[in-house]
Amino acid sequence: MSKGKARKFLTSLFVLLFSVVLVGEVSFAQLPVDIPRNETLILDQIFRYGLPRNFNLWNPNAANPTRQGLVFDTLWYIDQQTGKWINALAKEPPTYNKDYTEMTVKLRDGIYWSDGVKFTADDVVFTIQNIKKTPGMLWNAQFDLYVDSVRKVDDFTVVIKLKEPYPRFDSLFTSRYNACYIQPKHVFEKVEDPLRFTFYPPVSLGAYVLKDSDPAGYWELYERRKDWSRTSTGIVTKKPGPRYVLTIFYGPNEKKVAAMIQHNLDVLMDLDIEAFQTLIKRNSYARSWYKDFPWAWGDEIDHRFFGFNLEKAPYNIKDVRWALALALDIVKLNTDYIGGVTRVTPIPQPATSFHMKYYHKPLLPWLRDFKIEVANNEYFKPFDASVPERLVKWAKDQGYTVSGKPQDVFGVGWWKYAPEVSEKLLTKHGFKRGKDGKWLLPDGTPWKIPIIACPDEVDVFRLAIGAADQWKKFGIDVTIESLERDPYYVKQRMGDFVCTSSWGMADGGGASAIIDKWPFAYFLHSDYYVPTGQSANAGNSLRIKSKEVDNLLEKMGALSPNDPKILELGRDWMKLFVENMWGIPTLSFKKFVTVDNYYWTNFPTAENPYGQPCYWFMGGRFILPNMRQTGRK
Amino acid sequence: MENLLKYIIPRIFQCMIVIFVGVTIVFIVPRLTPMDPVQSIISRVTALVDTDPRAVEKLVETLTDLYGLRGSLLEQYLRFWKHLLSGDLGPSLTMFPASVVDIIKISLPWTIGLMTISTIIAWLLGIILGTLAGYFSNKRWSQILGTVVMCIYPIPYYIIALILVLLFAYLLPIFPLMGGASIGLKPSFSWSFITSLLKHGFLPAISLVIGTIGWIFMSQRALISRLVASDFIVFAETASLPRKKILSYLIRNSMLPQITDLALSLGGIFSGAIITEQVFSYPGIGVVLYSAILQGDFNLMMGISIFSIIGIATAALVLDLIYPLLDPRIRYK
Repeated sequence: MSKGKARKFLTSLFVLLFSVVLVGEVSFAQLPVDIPRNETLILDQIFRYGLPRNFNLWNPNAANPTRQGLVFDTLWYIDQQTGKWINALAKEPPTYNKDYTEMTVKLRDGIYWSDGVKFTADDVVFTIQNIKKTPGMLWNAQFDLYVDSVRKVDDFTVVIKLKEPYPRFDSLFTSRYNACYIQPKHVFEKVEDPLRFTFYPPVSLGAYVLKDSDPAGYWELYERRKDWSRTSTGIVTKKPGPRYVLTIFYGPNEKKVAAMIQHNLDVLMDLDIEAFQTLIKRNSYARSWYKDFPWAWGDEIDHRFFGFNLEKAPYNIKDVRWALALALDIVKLNTDYIGGVTRVTPIPQPATSFHMKYYHKPLLPWLRDFKIEVANNEYFKPFDASVPERLVKWAKDQGYTVSGKPQDVFGVGWWKYAPEVSEKLLTKHGFKRGKDGKWLLPDGTPWKIPIIACPDEVDVFRLAIGAADQWKKFGIDVTIESLERDPYYVKQRMGDFVCTSSWGMADGGGASAIIDKWPFAYFLHSDYYVPTGQSANAGNSLRIKSKEVDNLLEKMGALSPNDPKILELGRDWMKLFVENMWGIPTLSFKKFVTVDNYYWTNFPTAENPYGQPCYWFMGGRFILPNMRQTGRK
Repeated sequence: MENLLKYIIPRIFQCMIVIFVGVTIVFIVPRLTPMDPVQSIISRVTALVDTDPRAVEKLVETLTDLYGLRGSLLEQYLRFWKHLLSGDLGPSLTMFPASVVDIIKISLPWTIGLMTISTIIAWLLGIILGTLAGYFSNKRWSQILGTVVMCIYPIPYYIIALILVLLFAYLLPIFPLMGGASIGLKPSFSWSFITSLLKHGFLPAISLVIGTIGWIFMSQRALISRLVASDFIVFAETASLPRKKILSYLIRNSMLPQITDLALSLGGIFSGAIITEQVFSYPGIGVVLYSAILQGDFNLMMGISIFSIIGIATAALVLDLIYPLLDPRIRYK
């Protein structure tokens, strides 16, 4: 063969090989050939698992979203949408002795591990003992603090003796996001170092077993257990659920949107509003909680707030905090910066359907009558109940159709936009405006507010921008310090901030779909207070310190969470917070949990709110069996 | 022997100093940042579950011990060298108890495969096209090629990556959206795995090639343009030597800076292509490094950086050693 011919031959061979590679999988399918798409529910994995082959979820580093609902189990659940109590591995709620020093658990008979071993009281006893003796494991510190001893009465009864009265001990086994996962005794008893044990492949107590996983952590494939009816999920729902579940991380939002447009992703956790709008324009089968505006699921159990280090002047003055609240226009903040897609909340509590029923709506009369003293004997009623109607009007002006009643969709109301009242409140404390119209502190120096915020928590960052714009308009010099999560958390805990655009529990506004507020506020007791400069590991990063808070928390702590007085005390906590305005709660958390109804349907929606759409929570296990095939292949 | 003493040993010594200083810097710098891996985990754990403050305190203590973060900076530094010299990079702080070495072992082959191939392709194409464009600088196609490269060169490589994803994974979905190989395929030398590997690596590789070829092309064209006017080329043309021969002279005489560039690029692949891997959700070391930085995983950051430092320092050392072989002028000096 001449040189020229050889070159032509090699070139042709290369082109041929390249074409085969390209065309070989023209109809690109994300699934292996033996896994039918119509029998596989594809869920957004949320992030790439750094160490995919570690199923030891008792290790604080292991990735747990979705996995925990498919493979692990605990005693009880509270559905975060409905507030419904679900007995899972336990057959009934816990019982306590009179002084709350002993808790008895009755377990279900007929539940099996995926390797065929029966689940019994031995597993629960072993789990508590094993975790208690293994420092570093999740729940180790709690068991060490509370548990004196644990014993099995019979194969399905466990009694846990506590070191001190604790009427909420069952919360460690009652899942909100997660709760103590029960260990298979027959596996872990042979393990020498439980913290370093990878528990791979996992022996499942859920309705699924791990079939395959990506060593690089981008996907995991689960198969429904043949004996799914011998799991708590099967017993509670009596439905099998999809045969396969694939969890997959496509990458940034735009790739998730592309995947859902191609029907290669059935449910995703969240998107920003712009990505969501693109998606619903291009995929008519995709939707979130509401069919129409505001689309997003507004019952996520968290809220946004502006917090201040209360030890730093002038934020130690209640009137200053109120002045800043009244200088915010919540309608503009919600619409201009968040797209108007979430509910407002004037109290440190997410405005979920559940919490609005027990807190926001019953507190409305009090909120309407609530007054602040603006100047000597001059009072002002700050509450504005017209906010939801104004948000509806704004939405209609944009051409949107609003689903539901204004209060249900946008919350009960918020504080009036009253800069003139803010002015009076500040003047009362010696603040004055400079020649340029900007505010000066009582000592005559310019008033500057640096806000710290994490850009990856999109809404809090956008709210920080919104507040900066509005406070600047009011005459304060505001800057935003954009921080990655880790330095943000460190700054917040150390008190190295003036103002934070935040979320979570720091203002005591954490929540579960329960009435009891003590579990989410008790770290604000002055017993756990640490001054600025020390790490507020307990969570009181705002440095709230108040005898009234202490008294209230002590009263709540002494009662059972089921005591009727708990609700009243919870409302008192909300009132106390509002009176002091320790932080400025603004908006409820929302998520564009989005479902593509092309292959699967019957995911929870506003029209059919049978359960929590947060499939990645441990309680997501009870949603998946309700998914129905559409018949498309 | 004289060469060994005068030329090779000082360079090896120099390389070791570079590695020592580099490793010391990557040990110290993360610890000066306001990041605390223990706090990061505490925040993650307590963000979703209400936790007794006393339990949180206890967990902080336990994790500080487990992660080896107890003691002064100097104590930690000495401990770190002791472990490093025995080949132990310690546990990852965010993926504890997995060791840093194990995590790197999973991701590094993907990055090495992707980066080595794309770097070599970009380098070869850049050299060939740059040489032709420099030699035939008056031709129309050469001017068009130069203009095209000038237009592509300033575009950040991640923009190119996003455009490629949009075009070939979404609008014309012939390439996958993510991953290194198809779901369910086990690494092997099977045809299906190799084609899947090529298909998944194609877009990331192309984005890297496009992103890096511009500089190589332009620098090579500039070198050739200068060399074309050299006496030996003028003489070769006057003597009517074949063009292939002349081009080979040109390439050989322009190689020294280009080989330096190639070697340093190859040495640097250990730190991955962070944004490219993020955009394509490619399972390389860049993605691991990015998440380690975000979560304050000091050990993992150090582990990856150490690989990178050793890679670049070794590449520089190898270059120093082979320069005399490539260019006789250095040998004579």
